[in-house]
Amino acid sequence: MSTVETRPPASGAAPATRPRRPNPWKQVTGSAVTAAIVVLCVLTVDANWGRLPQAPGILGDYVQLMTRGVLQNPMNDPYAEYWSKAFEYMVESLQMAWIGTLVGAVLSFPAAFLAARNISPRPVVFVVRQILNVIRAVPELILAIAIMLPIFGLGPLAGALALGVGSVGTLGKLGSEAIEAVDPRPIEAVSATGAPRLHVLAWGVLPQALPEIVALWLYRFEINIRAGAILGAVGAGGIGSILTQLFAARLWDRIGITLFIIIAVTVLVDQISAWVRHRIIAGGGKDAAAAEAEALA
Amino acid sequence: MTATTSAAPIRGRVVPPRPRPPWGLYTGLLVCAGVTVWAATGIDFTLTPLFTNLTRGQEVIAEFFRPDWAFAWRVRERWIETLQLAVVASFAGCLVALILAHLASDVTAPPWLARTMKGLLAVERSLPDVAWALLAVAVVGNGALAGILALFAFNVGVAAKLTAESVDAVDRGPVEAATAVGAGGLQRAVAAVLPQVMPNFLSYSFYVFELNIRASLVIGLVGAGGIGQVIKTELSRFQYSHISAIVVVFVVVVFALDQISAWLRRRLI
Repeated sequence: MSTVETRPPASGAAPATRPRRPNPWKQVTGSAVTAAIVVLCVLTVDANWGRLPQAPGILGDYVQLMTRGVLQNPMNDPYAEYWSKAFEYMVESLQMAWIGTLVGAVLSFPAAFLAARNISPRPVVFVVRQILNVIRAVPELILAIAIMLPIFGLGPLAGALALGVGSVGTLGKLGSEAIEAVDPRPIEAVSATGAPRLHVLAWGVLPQALPEIVALWLYRFEINIRAGAILGAVGAGGIGSILTQLFAARLWDRIGITLFIIIAVTVLVDQISAWVRHRIIAGGGKDAAAAEAEALA
Repeated sequence: MTATTSAAPIRGRVVPPRPRPPWGLYTGLLVCAGVTVWAATGIDFTLTPLFTNLTRGQEVIAEFFRPDWAFAWRVRERWIETLQLAVVASFAGCLVALILAHLASDVTAPPWLARTMKGLLAVERSLPDVAWALLAVAVVGNGALAGILALFAFNVGVAAKLTAESVDAVDRGPVEAATAVGAGGLQRAVAAVLPQVMPNFLSYSFYVFELNIRASLVIGLVGAGGIGQVIKTELSRFQYSHISAIVVVFVVVVFALDQISAWLRRRLI
């Protein structure tokens, strides 16, 4: 008796029915279309698939050669120079990325305000957003080839400026989103005191948005370290220049050392940057993962 | 109510104490300024060429304003190849990444395995796309296969990291329920975790596909197929009007894909 009573009354009223299966046609067609596209591409692409089975063996040999280079005593004569040379170029890459990010930050800062819906009038927002979208679509490589190398000549400066202009698109877009997400009440409070527009931005908006914007700069710095690597291949400085030369000459021991330095320095910088980002945003309740997820949105 | 009104007028306005000076912030700014000076001197930072040499790039830039549209159409096979590379590499890369992501999360894997996998993925991601492309070309020679392998390696790192973070963030309820009915590791992953991360995963896949289109320039520049290879040859022949046509088409394609994928991702999440 009591067992019946403990049951919720609803199930007593209506016999328990299994919920119907959701309609699967969407998933099925989606999967089928994807599969068809992938199969079509695999069959039509002009790739030499026959070489694929040999690839792991060859790669194994190369990896062996590379580790042999890394494991040599780095104090011995030729290897000491290899290590210091690779490190020098990596430092140049870091410098390019830093200056590039800074240039991007300076240029994107006003753009972010102009592209924020809660700050600027609609037409301005629309125009600035489209400009940012176009910049985002132009790869750094093209900026370097088309604009920076002819004007600034070969060298890391051209690369840094290409990274800088390339960063404006993303930083401006994500920065404007950070500004749009601020709490409107402080803005209202500052406006209520009769403050001019600039003061409203400086005291109502900026203190709220700045931590996130700075975190975005750091995030972009991490990206720019990687993005700068290709610029060396066209003569715009950084680790890419030595890497392409070494691969052309197939100097596997030096390649191993250089790749090792790239990995070590990048992982280290990523860790530091992630730690700083965490600290900066700690008060805002957002963490690095959220910023990254936002970078995708 | 009465308590506050009686307490307030005792001393007129009470000014809150000034916050302590943020020494951490000051040192941080100082460090940033130091790094900036060091970096700027390291790469000989100057903007004077912008005023003195602006005309030096004139011929190149003038060529860029005369895009040769016919050329962009003539290399249509390379465009198609770019898309093919991106499709194959992002599909294979994301599929592998989905498995690795489950191995790299505490939710679906033992902690020691998750930690090792996260470390391996961090190492994997620290190599830039050029390095993968150079490596792939060295292993399988010039051509589309090298491009696929390079993009694949690059994709696995990105997609696995993002998906692993989604797996970390799943609602534990369904996972617990699956464990309670006696599901094994694989069953738990398929029944409780996968449905939760699927929308995010698909959205990351589109993002990765988009990244691949962008990266195809880089990949091709070192000989791994796609439209980048055309840029490489035209660059060595100083045919800037050809490059500019390709760049414009490229930007339009990336722009369009960006919009489409943003729209698709909005629908998925």
